[in-house]
Amino acid sequence: MRVETRRTLRRLLRNPSAVLGFSLLIFFTLIAIFAPLICPPQSYDPYMIPIVTWDKTPQPPSEGHPFGIIDGRDIFYGVVWGTRTAFKVGLTVTLTSTLVGLVIGSIAGYFGGWLDEVLMRITDVFLSIPYILAAIVMTAFLGMGLDKVMISLIIFGWMATARLIRANILQAREEQYVLAAKALGVSDFWVITKHILPNTIFPVLIQATMRIGSLVITAAALSFLGLGAPVGYADWGALLNFARNWLLGASGEALRYWYAIVYPGTAMVLFVLAWNLVGDALRDAFDPRLRG
Amino acid sequence: MEKKPVLSVKNLKTYFYTEDGIVKAVDGVDFDVYQGETLGIVGESGCGKSVTALSILRILDEKGRIVEGQVLLDGVDLTKIEEQDMRKIRGKDIAIIFQEPMVALNPVFTIGDQIMEAIMLHQKVDEKTARNMAVDLLRKVGIPEPEKRIDQYPHELSGGMRQRAMIAMALSCKPKVLIADEPTTALDVTIQAQIMELMKELQKEYGMAIMLITHDLGLIAENADRVVVMYAGKVVEYADVKTLFNDPKHPYTWGLLHAIPRLDIEQTRLYNIPGVVPDPLHFPPGCKFNPRCEFKEERCTREEPQLIEVGENHTVRCFFWQKVDEAKKRKVGEFV
Repeated sequence: MRVETRRTLRRLLRNPSAVLGFSLLIFFTLIAIFAPLICPPQSYDPYMIPIVTWDKTPQPPSEGHPFGIIDGRDIFYGVVWGTRTAFKVGLTVTLTSTLVGLVIGSIAGYFGGWLDEVLMRITDVFLSIPYILAAIVMTAFLGMGLDKVMISLIIFGWMATARLIRANILQAREEQYVLAAKALGVSDFWVITKHILPNTIFPVLIQATMRIGSLVITAAALSFLGLGAPVGYADWGALLNFARNWLLGASGEALRYWYAIVYPGTAMVLFVLAWNLVGDALRDAFDPRLRG
Repeated sequence: MEKKPVLSVKNLKTYFYTEDGIVKAVDGVDFDVYQGETLGIVGESGCGKSVTALSILRILDEKGRIVEGQVLLDGVDLTKIEEQDMRKIRGKDIAIIFQEPMVALNPVFTIGDQIMEAIMLHQKVDEKTARNMAVDLLRKVGIPEPEKRIDQYPHELSGGMRQRAMIAMALSCKPKVLIADEPTTALDVTIQAQIMELMKELQKEYGMAIMLITHDLGLIAENADRVVVMYAGKVVEYADVKTLFNDPKHPYTWGLLHAIPRLDIEQTRLYNIPGVVPDPLHFPPGCKFNPRCEFKEERCTREEPQLIEVGENHTVRCFFWQKVDEAKKRKVGEFV
């Protein structure tokens, strides 16, 4: 598409934080794609971190185990395959919950009246439950496992999107270009999809992009609490869960087991940062109204 | 010569059912619009001008309802037909230009996309043809380099350009009636003149009827053939443009005309109509203009006047219109 696309690309490339965000994202994507080459799986389930020693104490980075060993498992393997887990959790949960939120919010915003009232009160009820607590209870109720964690995160993750899109639709509905479109004989369905949604979808996309990162943290928190991935599953949160017992270090040597925290932790921080930077960049680049 | 009106509004009443009560925004409006002619609708803000336009197109928000009356387009009552049939009329037979070209164009689409949408909604043409038509339209409304402009976003165009683009959009299907709702209010004076000139040219070319809604009497004097003066949701005077300006009969029209600054006579202070437009939720009893009227009598607070014929094609809603005539004679030199 013509001049506009080139202009958008140029704007993205000129923004250093956008370049950083996209580079990180590409980096993580490559790691996720080439995980079987970087760390060849050693059992029938590649997501299970292979046990390399029966010694439970963490062992510092060494040849063959560049990030060290914890709980008898190779941290490097866990971090690499954990990237796939992070993408899986982040994308699935965000896409599904955003879609749910979009549908609920659009219906509420466009039709208004009692339907809006009912849907928004349901949203309020869901919002009134603390997120982590709700997710913990739900996961405990559904049973352990990463898929259960994702389900509970979806169930309690759609409200922000619903509210955001509803508020935006309420506002956009009053815009004169909507009236102008109606005056041209455009039908209600097309008014929403063609005229209102493109004007309201950007904040939702940006919010969703940023949520991918924070969802990974939430999922990790659940894993850290022992609710998420099963023991030995390649997941950053699960790796940190192993590190929990060694957080205080050894006597007189507080930082002795630093690698148990730093490597999975850094991966997580960079992953979240990447999505946040990309979210910002998308907002700056694609919303014609934010252009100077 | 008896011409048939293209659009004829009969006893139109549009009420808004708000939480505070019923707002009678349009309360019995009648007028005819003839082919190739311009009908001016004047009045202060909130007198129901725009609501009349929205009622004709049936694009009121959910609180507004047409409670009575007819809108006849070539004899078909638009208030009675199905929504999907109405949709075929919007943009095709009756098009509208809004006051603010800044906000009436969708900011996320190029003007080309928007004009093409208008074309393809009502005409069976492919995208390429629509694009060529859009370029031609942009050229016709006086936008230079239309091939380049067509791919630009509204924010890349000036106010006058945007209004031209709006006109191009409105004219895309050669409507029978063009409603121009304060088309030049948001533009500066030189652009105003250009836009009005353009609309007149296009009117001649397409033979369409224009409904010019404005509060600018100067615009009416230069462009309209007939004029409807509205006050508080009702027509208070209806006449052809010369008669209205030379021989106003309603105290409100008379006051409006006096409130125009003039260069040919010495004025130290501009005349203004005393008081403010009444709150539409609490209209005064009787004639709605009575609290502000210089000629009011006891009867005006009791009874609502009807439109009465005072000359050829000249009607006025006032019991004491003769008083205005007398006042005119007395005050010659002072105001007129």
